[in-house]
Amino acid sequence: MSCPKDKITLEFNGKPVTARPGDTVASALYRSGQRIFTRSFKYHRRRGLLCLAGKCPNCLMNVDGAPNVRTCITLVRAGMRVTHQNASPSLENDWLSVVQHFDRLMPVGWYYKTMTDPRVWHTAEPFVRKIAGLGTPPSPDAVSGNYEHAYRHSDVAIIGGGPAGLKAAISEAENGRQVTLVDDQPELGGHLRYTKIAEAALPELVAKVQTLPNMQVLNGSYCFGLYEGNLLGIVQPRRDPDDAERLIHLRAGRVVVATGAYESPLLFPNNDLVGVMLSTGVLRLIHLHGIIPGKVAVVIGQSPLVEPVVADLREAGLQIAATVAPKSVVRAIGKKYVTRIETRDARHACDLVVMCGHRIPDAGLLHQAGARLEWNAGKGAFIPTDLPAHVSAVGQVTGESLSAAATLPPVLDPASKRAFVCLCSDVSSQDLANAIDEGFDHIETLKRYTTTTMGPCQGRMCQLPAIGVCARQTNHSMAETGVTTGRPPNPGVTLGALAGARHHPTRRTPMHYEHEAAGAAWLDMGEWKRSRYYQSPMGASEKQCVEQEYRAVRERVGLIDVSTLGKLDLKGRDVGRLLDHVYAGRFSDLRPGRTRYGVICDEAGIMLDDGTVSRLADDHFFVTTTTGNLDFVLQWMNWWLVGTNWDVYITNLTSGLAAVNLAGPNAREVLKPLTDCDLSTAAFPYMACRVAQVAGAEAILMRIGFVGETGWEIHFPAESGPDVWKAVMEAGRKFDIKPFGIEAQRLLRLEKRHIIVGVDSDALTNPFEAGMGWVPKLDKEDFIGRSALARLATQPPKQKLACFIMNEADLPEDGAAIMIGGQLAGRVTSARFSPGQGKAIGLAWVPAETAREGAEVQVRVRGRVARARITEKAFYDPDGARLRM
Amino acid sequence: MLKLFKKERMWQRPELKRRYDLVIVGAGVHGLATAYYLGSQHGYRNIALVDKGYLGNGSSGRNTAIIRSNYRTPEGILCYDASVKLYENLSRELEWNLLFSQCGHLTLGHTDASVTGLRIRAENNQALGIDSRIIYPDEIRRLVPAMDLSSRPRFPVLAALYHPPGGIIRHDAVVWGLARACDRMGIGIHPHTTVTGMRVENGSVQSVVTNRGEIVTSAVLNATAGWASTIGKMAGVSMPIVSHPLQACVTEPLKPFLNKVIVSATLHVYVNQTDKGELVIGAEIDPYQSYSMRATLPTLEQMATYTLELFPQLHGLRVLRQWTGVCDMTPDYAPIIGTAQEVKNFFMDVGWGTYGFKAAPIAGKCTAALIATGKAPKLIEPFSPARFAAGQLVGEKAAAAVST
Repeated sequence: MSCPKDKITLEFNGKPVTARPGDTVASALYRSGQRIFTRSFKYHRRRGLLCLAGKCPNCLMNVDGAPNVRTCITLVRAGMRVTHQNASPSLENDWLSVVQHFDRLMPVGWYYKTMTDPRVWHTAEPFVRKIAGLGTPPSPDAVSGNYEHAYRHSDVAIIGGGPAGLKAAISEAENGRQVTLVDDQPELGGHLRYTKIAEAALPELVAKVQTLPNMQVLNGSYCFGLYEGNLLGIVQPRRDPDDAERLIHLRAGRVVVATGAYESPLLFPNNDLVGVMLSTGVLRLIHLHGIIPGKVAVVIGQSPLVEPVVADLREAGLQIAATVAPKSVVRAIGKKYVTRIETRDARHACDLVVMCGHRIPDAGLLHQAGARLEWNAGKGAFIPTDLPAHVSAVGQVTGESLSAAATLPPVLDPASKRAFVCLCSDVSSQDLANAIDEGFDHIETLKRYTTTTMGPCQGRMCQLPAIGVCARQTNHSMAETGVTTGRPPNPGVTLGALAGARHHPTRRTPMHYEHEAAGAAWLDMGEWKRSRYYQSPMGASEKQCVEQEYRAVRERVGLIDVSTLGKLDLKGRDVGRLLDHVYAGRFSDLRPGRTRYGVICDEAGIMLDDGTVSRLADDHFFVTTTTGNLDFVLQWMNWWLVGTNWDVYITNLTSGLAAVNLAGPNAREVLKPLTDCDLSTAAFPYMACRVAQVAGAEAILMRIGFVGETGWEIHFPAESGPDVWKAVMEAGRKFDIKPFGIEAQRLLRLEKRHIIVGVDSDALTNPFEAGMGWVPKLDKEDFIGRSALARLATQPPKQKLACFIMNEADLPEDGAAIMIGGQLAGRVTSARFSPGQGKAIGLAWVPAETAREGAEVQVRVRGRVARARITEKAFYDPDGARLRM
Repeated sequence: MLKLFKKERMWQRPELKRRYDLVIVGAGVHGLATAYYLGSQHGYRNIALVDKGYLGNGSSGRNTAIIRSNYRTPEGILCYDASVKLYENLSRELEWNLLFSQCGHLTLGHTDASVTGLRIRAENNQALGIDSRIIYPDEIRRLVPAMDLSSRPRFPVLAALYHPPGGIIRHDAVVWGLARACDRMGIGIHPHTTVTGMRVENGSVQSVVTNRGEIVTSAVLNATAGWASTIGKMAGVSMPIVSHPLQACVTEPLKPFLNKVIVSATLHVYVNQTDKGELVIGAEIDPYQSYSMRATLPTLEQMATYTLELFPQLHGLRVLRQWTGVCDMTPDYAPIIGTAQEVKNFFMDVGWGTYGFKAAPIAGKCTAALIATGKAPKLIEPFSPARFAAGQLVGEKAAAAVST
């Protein structure tokens, strides 16, 4: 298998280590003489290789900056940089290992029972934190990894490429089904790769699998989750550093779980010494890596499992000092490494202890999918039963070929402080026994109190022994004790694989690059980029730029991109009915060619969104929503349409249309040469709408006035966006037109007291307190929010949204507190410096009794208290005369 | 120190009697805290706490254990502040270290609108004496050096609401500590006891039917969070509650690098690092109603995506478990505490949604006072069940930590 000429060099703790192709990091380090791979979590005990299958916590290291990497299943690559974790100064000499000598001071739950004085705990906690944890987090400037997501379907997914999985895959494929075979090992074959079983003809099976055309093999990939609807989460690790780690979402008609069984350790004092290994781990080292991990071995186990292992070890050249039954083991002895096994009647010198441990059906996927795990005393294992629909299991995961003789539940009397059940958190059988005596006698509370099964091994090494200890200590059966809940992901998955490629979309309006050329300063609004204001080439401040844009609109003409508004096209005989039902206002009586303001309220009368509704024809409406609420409004309308049989067809035109608002005293003059539409007030009054050509594009024009000037909101095909924008700007040149951004718009509308839903209102605002009591039409047929609005209409509101103007030159921030008599009384929702008023103005929530002309309030301005005066009317053109000009 | 070596049972296995003064349905933190304060402050003893699962199986053991009082409304602020203060002293009171780490809590603002929302909270908090203020990237960087504060993320961090007394606690320890204290007062805790019905006559509950027999009782407290409306239904009490799943996950342990609770409403995620070194990550509530506690892949992916927006260097860190709790959501995201209008001896402490764990001590204390005296303490008056019919909702929805 290995070719000595073909050598790979990696780096371990700064020193070069030579590896062979096919080596894992752990096998290469072991061959180079490394025996201690980790230090344990709590006591910092030495730990060596145990499972060689990526299932235990004993080989976690930092590989190329990634913490907690299972080195025993990570294939070597030239130039890899491997370092140890959680030991200082070195794995061989770790000063924190002194902790284990004070273990009597740290019985189970010691941290709950001590430091109950908060001052003591607050002093102690930083030290506790410092010594906890495993791997070192990468530094914040570390390069981010390469990840991607893929989506696949197949008739049948087979999880596990051992003999049972291979046979199932072949049979399904031969029956004409599209099959995906997932196996977590670099090569197919499962335990046949390192054990000798006469019946199996591995090469034939593998060859067959590879010839079937309707078979897809994902080897070296693991399945971590079997979710609702047979959605499988599968991770395909990267093969070389430039590769992406890929998360495959596989939907399968049927799932066949063939994950086999794994081995977990036996319980005896010092069962964690370096040199105490699982038999499958030893066989993997021998047969997969050509490493004989010792000279003299003691094998602990029961017949009939132990005989083939002994034969195999002998053949490999190991001397077998003794074969002992698990219950006769008194303890393992050794300082740095295991040197002896003490049994009831002898001591056996050795340098390797081989545990023929419990065989545990690897039923994690089945368990999380809803299967029950039922204790089977005959097999000495929890066997999956009641499998969910379209999920089946084959092979050892079903308990096939397991027998109790080989897999005794743990018996250990008396409990020992050094017989480790949980290797991840150093929980001994004594700890478990104590916890149970304290009352944590349910397996779920025992788990949470001792943290057994909650570490990186996810319970693989410790769950069965823990259940055994719990059952024995509580005089319950294994069946009564049961297992803890199975949860995905199992095995664990990296955050990077779950997140996939970084994909956080940015939406740009069709005129984005016009704004960019004009010096836009950007503002994020949901996914959209909008112009906050346009920077001046002279380097004027934001305030000056905004004021120039403001003056352009008030005195001449301005143009703003409003393409981000939600735009819905509604057609059908019953659109009026739907709008009457969904909006608080009435729209069924809206005449074609007219536009009306609309507010959506929920069942409690709370304002959810606002926008315009224009009737283009009897059966054709055009509706706008706020930028952020489009998806919601669309869902809301569709939701209320369900089951009505109404003749309504809704098309979302948001991306298909661009939109601008042209506003200012000269707006009409600018637009006139660009359109065939008669723009005179007689022909096109305020709140009217028309379909007409604008700069060569078919457009919907609405005469509305959010900013308080004569103006048109024009919607037209997105592809004409830049052309129309340029044409309008060109036509406006002689009027000194300026593009204006969100900041100027917010200021302009504030002077008009126009509110922005979601800015000035919040998730509990109703129209009456927002000063929009005219919106709900309570005399129409039933609509959403009617009963709540009818009640609210008769109740005096507690608070009201009111305009205010500052007495002095202060500018409060949005969100500043309103105080009355030193008490918190409300808040500012929006405040801006008004060039028209020469002072800051704004909208604020104040107690209803204060919302009257001239009332004095205090506003907190950066921690100071400043005075302001409430005004009832809008600051600018309160009668709206300018809108109608 | 001697306590350390004394082997004591935390609780006994009491007989389930046939008659009680009060049956508390749900032995999570709310039920336990109510029993604890009824026992310690009002002398009640004849109480049964029944729960369908093991101790702490519900939301008490599924939340992300964040404690804070930087809410938006005066009602919320005062209530949660009282809760934080009770938590601060609870380890000492229960003689059981709840591992309350007042490490500080940051709510990030990534957009102008969210910063305004944070400012509203800061202003309201300060007006009511809560340590809470807006801080900007320079100071955020000092507090959380591991976080990405560059302009690289799609939504860079603009500011944060910093709340130094906020932090995390060991949620299971709260359950165990309260359970032990109740047990020591002689209040019976009965896990694995499922309520299947209630006998109501003349507008009052006569008895509670369980899988272990019928229990005659003078009063019932519903403290079942996600299942609140189903228990209410058994007594003929309706409440405007819908149940939504809420998912969270935990990673492998790392050496400490983050000792602040980080919340981002824009990214719908919250993250903290436990004393053991694991990262605990929570999501917003799932958008659909369900009682299912089966975890889903899309939500896990969302949690990972947003965590990496804040801490991109953690891409190689493995998630070990994801789990789901069920939240009892009300229309205004504020709880319902009080007596049912339909059934006079049916008390409720429900509707806490995603905030239940934080509020447990104060909710328990006030509910205990309500049960013992028949009068709701001022602090919980705004949360009366009658508010929905009267249209007097509380404004907490606007500040839901992970809700837009």
